[in-house]
Amino acid sequence: MRPLVLILIAALALQAQAPRLLEVQERRLANGARLLVVERRGLGAFHAALVFRGGQAEEPAALAGATDLLARALYGETWPEDLEPSRTQALEPLLAQEEGLLESLRAEHLRLRHDPTSRGQLPELEASLASTQARLAALCSTAPLAGLYASRGGREGAEPTADALVAWTELPQEAFEVWCRTEAARLRTLQLSRFSAARAALVATLRATPAQALALLRGAALPGHPYGRALVDNLPALEAMRRSDLRKYARRALGPGRLTIILVGGLSLEQAAPLVEKHFGTLPVPPDGEEALLPEIPADLGDRRLQASLGGDSRLLTGWRIPPRSHPDHLPLRMAAQLLGGGSTGRLASRLAAGKAVARETALGMDLPGSHLPGLLVVDLKPADGHSLAELESALHGEILRLQQEPIGAEEWSRALAQLELDDLRTLDEPAALAQALGRAWAEGGDWRLLDLEMQRLRTLTPEAVQAAARAWLKPSHRTTARLEPSTADELNPLEAQTAKVLNALAATRIQDPAQREQLVAEGLRQLRMLSPDERLRTLKLLEAQLAPEKR
Amino acid sequence: MKALLLAALLALPGLAQSKAQSFVLPNGLRVVHLEDHERPLVRVLLQVRLEPTDTPPGLGGLPLLWLRASDHSDAAEFKAEAFDRLLAGAGIQLDRTLRAAGVEWRLVARSRDQDRALGLLADRVLRTVFDPAAVEAQRVACWREEEGLDAPPGPRLRRALEPFPGPRPTLASLGAITLDDLLAFQARVVRPDRAVLVLHGDLGLEQAKRLVFLSLGPWTAAAPSPRQGARLPAAPTTEGPVRLPAAGTGLRLQAVVQAPAEGAPEAEALLSLLVPADPALAPLRVASEAGDLVITLEAQGAPAAWRLFHDRLEALRQRGYGQADLERARTAWRARQSLEALHPQAQLTRALAEVLAQGVRSERLASLSLEALNADLRRWLDPARLRLGATGSPEALKTLPTP
Repeated sequence: MRPLVLILIAALALQAQAPRLLEVQERRLANGARLLVVERRGLGAFHAALVFRGGQAEEPAALAGATDLLARALYGETWPEDLEPSRTQALEPLLAQEEGLLESLRAEHLRLRHDPTSRGQLPELEASLASTQARLAALCSTAPLAGLYASRGGREGAEPTADALVAWTELPQEAFEVWCRTEAARLRTLQLSRFSAARAALVATLRATPAQALALLRGAALPGHPYGRALVDNLPALEAMRRSDLRKYARRALGPGRLTIILVGGLSLEQAAPLVEKHFGTLPVPPDGEEALLPEIPADLGDRRLQASLGGDSRLLTGWRIPPRSHPDHLPLRMAAQLLGGGSTGRLASRLAAGKAVARETALGMDLPGSHLPGLLVVDLKPADGHSLAELESALHGEILRLQQEPIGAEEWSRALAQLELDDLRTLDEPAALAQALGRAWAEGGDWRLLDLEMQRLRTLTPEAVQAAARAWLKPSHRTTARLEPSTADELNPLEAQTAKVLNALAATRIQDPAQREQLVAEGLRQLRMLSPDERLRTLKLLEAQLAPEKR
Repeated sequence: MKALLLAALLALPGLAQSKAQSFVLPNGLRVVHLEDHERPLVRVLLQVRLEPTDTPPGLGGLPLLWLRASDHSDAAEFKAEAFDRLLAGAGIQLDRTLRAAGVEWRLVARSRDQDRALGLLADRVLRTVFDPAAVEAQRVACWREEEGLDAPPGPRLRRALEPFPGPRPTLASLGAITLDDLLAFQARVVRPDRAVLVLHGDLGLEQAKRLVFLSLGPWTAAAPSPRQGARLPAAPTTEGPVRLPAAGTGLRLQAVVQAPAEGAPEAEALLSLLVPADPALAPLRVASEAGDLVITLEAQGAPAAWRLFHDRLEALRQRGYGQADLERARTAWRARQSLEALHPQAQLTRALAEVLAQGVRSERLASLSLEALNADLRRWLDPARLRLGATGSPEALKTLPTP
């Protein structure tokens, strides 16, 4: 009895000594991968996240969409045929054959577009592809719940973000070794057997998505920067991407040096580490490749404005370039965002919507699209009936000035703090949210401890620090404003169609590669959408003037 | 010494186990309590059951307008804005959702604020003072929400197909709703004998009883409920597919179908695993969302799209599942139960289902026959029950034949 009492008292004493909000245990594997474990005793399950830093922002232009495709083709589901050596070997020649046929078909489509009268090989190629895909399908699982995790009651998913690719799994605890073995085999094999279906589905989804206001704002606020890129403008590159290209990219982008494994659940570090070491610790380290060199954009780029008609209602989008998460001003800006956009009691909702009634809807987003690099704080406002975008803009500028200059009331401050503290408490309580928050802190800020540090710094933050950060970052020279006016599709389409036609004709006189040509046209159309209809019409006339009359 | 040991054991985090305990207030409110002291947090779920017949003819959208108007009206002695400030000041998160089965309020608060949180929830639900100006403003907002005017085509289509309690709103029906209709709806629906409350987190049973009794004990209903009952079977859809034109976008077909009310919860649970994970349905994508199946096809060409959609579903419906599939689904379902511990909100949802007799029973799961499973599959995927819709360019929608 006495030893038991001593053990219990010792355990209680240890608990009392722990001042940190987070109890994370860390281990570094020999090949550079990191392991973070948050033990939740009594849980019979675990949430696991594989966080690969890099993400969409680090994709080379020719491989735009690679992170999204990996999320779909590598991590969407877990099929036995992608992992068992005998079955992967049987699939491989057929997958190589499929890749060749897909590439031939793409080239044939482009050739026929250029010369529609020629006799193409389209039917033969399509028949060969159908036959190859039928043979492939015969080697793939056809039974429901055949997936390795689904059959064990598991859940899985993957999220491509600007700063990371995050693949997560939830499984009962007894499946932990299966998970380690499966995930390591997945990274070794990189089979991507459903690559063509995943690529087709991603292209269809992108085509089904109309031009988006936020993408437009990002493009204008972060010109030439990967954070400003929209995947929908790179469809030709995506359609031209081959399975072998993606596998080659994945070997580097998903290497152990870029990986953090996060486990939250009923596993201790002592239980988890040996199996993680055994399976993940032996993953090969890719030869040193060039790290992506990302361009830097000065925050003081000047006050930029654009006007566009995307259909839908009037809308005012305003974005400010803000510092990355590792910057000391980032946390004060998070508080500023809470004061402005924190639900129905935030300043935007209570003053612009309820008070002055100039806005019908208000929303605020921070760290768009990421925060490893300088991103955006975006305010999205929709005018109330009878109010113009100019009124709304002026009211917003007034609120920003107020935040920068007038003292913040104690009641308002404690309200914002209470909301952030509850958010943090929920993050600590929910395993999936905690794993995601740790992964983001590591991928965005370079260290998972940032999460803990921010939670603690929040308690000592002062209103003066928030105002100083607002003055430093939410200023006109950091700002981009997008005024989106309503218009009907009928008004837009003929102009856009004619512009596309002229741009295509012009590009054809200068660029041989059809894929590059399409990319250039897409980018040109995107830029032109930022202009008012009148300006677009004038631009179209200037472009038409460069073409021979018979080609107009 | 024994007492010391016991106290020490209880003080160790993680050793305290959540176990559901139920009680009923004298006013008929059913309460489930799940104790969990891992974090200083309390979560609350209050569901009030809705039935299609709660909405009088010609007043489609009444539940939606009632919910939105009550959100923007005063509660007890608090003005609407002051009420929101009180919630925010205490860091209390209160969300509400309208589903076909009922309206749900979900609340999360620090455990030290649990008294205030329950008090404010009671004020919001029981003591709404409707503001005619708020009702007028919300009439337009309801229409915007229903039409999804500001949303991209995909979410807009999903919203249009979402099962709705009673007839869907139209501009005319929303315009016809009066303040008296809202008050009558409130009296008819917001009754303790229609409600279930689930409490989860850092509070003991006795504490929970005291708290619920103080905040929701005074809740009374004017007259006995005219209806008590299980879910009504969803009526077969008679309308054609919803068509939402969106210039410059690809063609997407979608169907949403609720689980058949007359089916067994065990069959529903297994089919929710089997159907979304069935490779034979490709290129259709199926997801199970809050008891509904959501079936989507990104179509290449319009003319054959509906045929492909229906053929895939009908082939599965006719073929059914085999004994091996049933066994695999049983194993997967049992294993999945441990995953609920990772999601506190899922524990609340499960507790609610148990109280409503919609929970899965292990013994019934074990004895579920293949014939019963396939009978429920046929009911669930009955083409007459699918609510269909399509979005895409106006040209593509024009060439899309009627299914």
